[in-house]
Amino acid sequence: MTTTNTPYSENAMKPSLGRLAYIKDLGTEIKLFGVELLNGNGADFRAYHPGQFAFVSAFGIGEAAFGFASIPRNGTLEFAIQRLGSVTTELHELGVGDTIGVRGPLGNYFPLDSMRGKNLIVLGGGIGGAPLRPVIQYVLANRAHYGHLTILWAARHPSLLVFTDEYDTWRSAPDTQLHLTVDVADVGWDHHTGLITDLLERVSPSPENTITITCGPPIMIHFVNKMLIERFGFRPEQNYVTLEARMHCGIGKCGRCNLDEKLVCVDGPVFTMAEVGNFLESFL
Amino acid sequence: MKYISRSDLSVILNELIGESRLIAPKKVGGVILYQPITDTSHITWDFTRPVLSIKESFFPATERLFTIDINGQEVTLNDTLPEIPQIILGVRPCDARGMKILDALFIDTPPRDSYFAQHRANTTIIGLSCQELGETCFCTSMDGSPTDPQGMDVMLTEIEDGYSVQIITEKGKKFFGDHLSLAYEEATPPSGTLDRPSAIPAPNDINWPRKFHEAYWDQLAERCLSCRICAYICPTCRCFTVRDEPIASNDGMQQFERIRCWDACTSEAYRQIAGGHNPRQAKKQRLRNRIYCKFDFYPKQYGPIACTGCGRCVEMCPVNIDITEVLRDLAEVTP
Repeated sequence: MTTTNTPYSENAMKPSLGRLAYIKDLGTEIKLFGVELLNGNGADFRAYHPGQFAFVSAFGIGEAAFGFASIPRNGTLEFAIQRLGSVTTELHELGVGDTIGVRGPLGNYFPLDSMRGKNLIVLGGGIGGAPLRPVIQYVLANRAHYGHLTILWAARHPSLLVFTDEYDTWRSAPDTQLHLTVDVADVGWDHHTGLITDLLERVSPSPENTITITCGPPIMIHFVNKMLIERFGFRPEQNYVTLEARMHCGIGKCGRCNLDEKLVCVDGPVFTMAEVGNFLESFL
Repeated sequence: MKYISRSDLSVILNELIGESRLIAPKKVGGVILYQPITDTSHITWDFTRPVLSIKESFFPATERLFTIDINGQEVTLNDTLPEIPQIILGVRPCDARGMKILDALFIDTPPRDSYFAQHRANTTIIGLSCQELGETCFCTSMDGSPTDPQGMDVMLTEIEDGYSVQIITEKGKKFFGDHLSLAYEEATPPSGTLDRPSAIPAPNDINWPRKFHEAYWDQLAERCLSCRICAYICPTCRCFTVRDEPIASNDGMQQFERIRCWDACTSEAYRQIAGGHNPRQAKKQRLRNRIYCKFDFYPKQYGPIACTGCGRCVEMCPVNIDITEVLRDLAEVTP
């Protein structure tokens, strides 16, 4: 999709330093980290786009890639991080004031400008909602430029739903609907229970002048888009996805994230289903 | 062409050892390796092809990217880019060309890899043409030749007790520097090509996309051990992983280094993400990826085919997976 030049002129493997300004619990083992960049390193991060990502360093362990979880705001970056591997476990041990590293912005992004005037359906699964939050923030901040905004938000369990304290803001925005679902409900859950594809069936979207954006586990991305295309008649190029892949450099060198000759880190992470459908190798 | 005797070449090398790191073929534990040399008497002058390529001198198996000082909440990162000039002696044409192939990725494709680029800038390659093709060599099928000077600063060709000297770059000229007076009466290198008829199909002639879903890959992968030796000995395989390792700790200050290490796309957990999902779980998917990377993906991404025909993988694979045989098989399997 839309590509951008990486800002690096010198050592593209060396991160900028940032200080953890705030840390919020988002869900079970999921935290939102607010990062203030140190030493004037904020310049590179002033103009990143929704869909791009950065490598976050837990010094002493290593670094891993995370999508930006907010639109740019005064040099403060946000990442929503689930404790899963060694780097994320270390990040979860850190506190406010601790120093981390940030390398980026990296990758391409959602072409939100070219989506103006269209209806948008945003589908997020679990922590996959993180890189979609800046999309929602951007559309709400530029509400008049877009048609209906439909958000389908899913998780395995209510405790894994992210950004719950923003749902009222989303719901109350003009011409905006939020649909929630969990695989397994708990006491007090009064929304849909079932897979996001069940929810999609109920919402029954029309492909007319509409773009979809999906992020979540690979299996969810697969079935959601299969349904959009085969059941609801969307053309593959109407459906955007952002793919996750293990990466160790983010700048197209380490070789790890390829799908055929495309690299998720530099040719992605944002693809249309038309592109994904042409890959010989499956992302599943 | 100029001629230099082996003993005069040793004089030049011995003088340079103080200011540069000299790397040359050396017998270690019964095999020939490119090793740092402190005295030219340790050099093995008669050799065919060292077991490991010169890749390690530009892209080390483990390389420090920077060091990290952690003092409470304060962190300092310290650059550790390499500064020492190095001279590599006895580089075969396949290995010299291998570095040109890696240039296409690490240097020519932005952003530039600072580490690889600096090693390249700091290194003078004194190449050595081949007198014959080794048993598993197939450079002539991969756009190379035993007398190809690509990627070298100087190419030597053995004549009797010395070498004919072909200076290729400014760096090569500088290597001889004032010592050009030691050189040398005119010499004529042996003529004639060493091409041998080859039955290996040109990779460009294979319809790669159509072979991707062939059952052939299942059959080939049955005996692959995912041992990764093919990637480690390959002059052009360049996958790497990055992590931090502790160096020291004292007075509340901890020091770490960020390192990158060779990795291989044939290893089992190569694509596994933290949640456990692994899109390339099957051995055949990983083996296939390595072959496709060399002959289809890398050329599409960066230009050159990522194989020099050095034949090391053919020789070293413990289950005899022969990349030239794979090319032949793929050219044959329908469609």
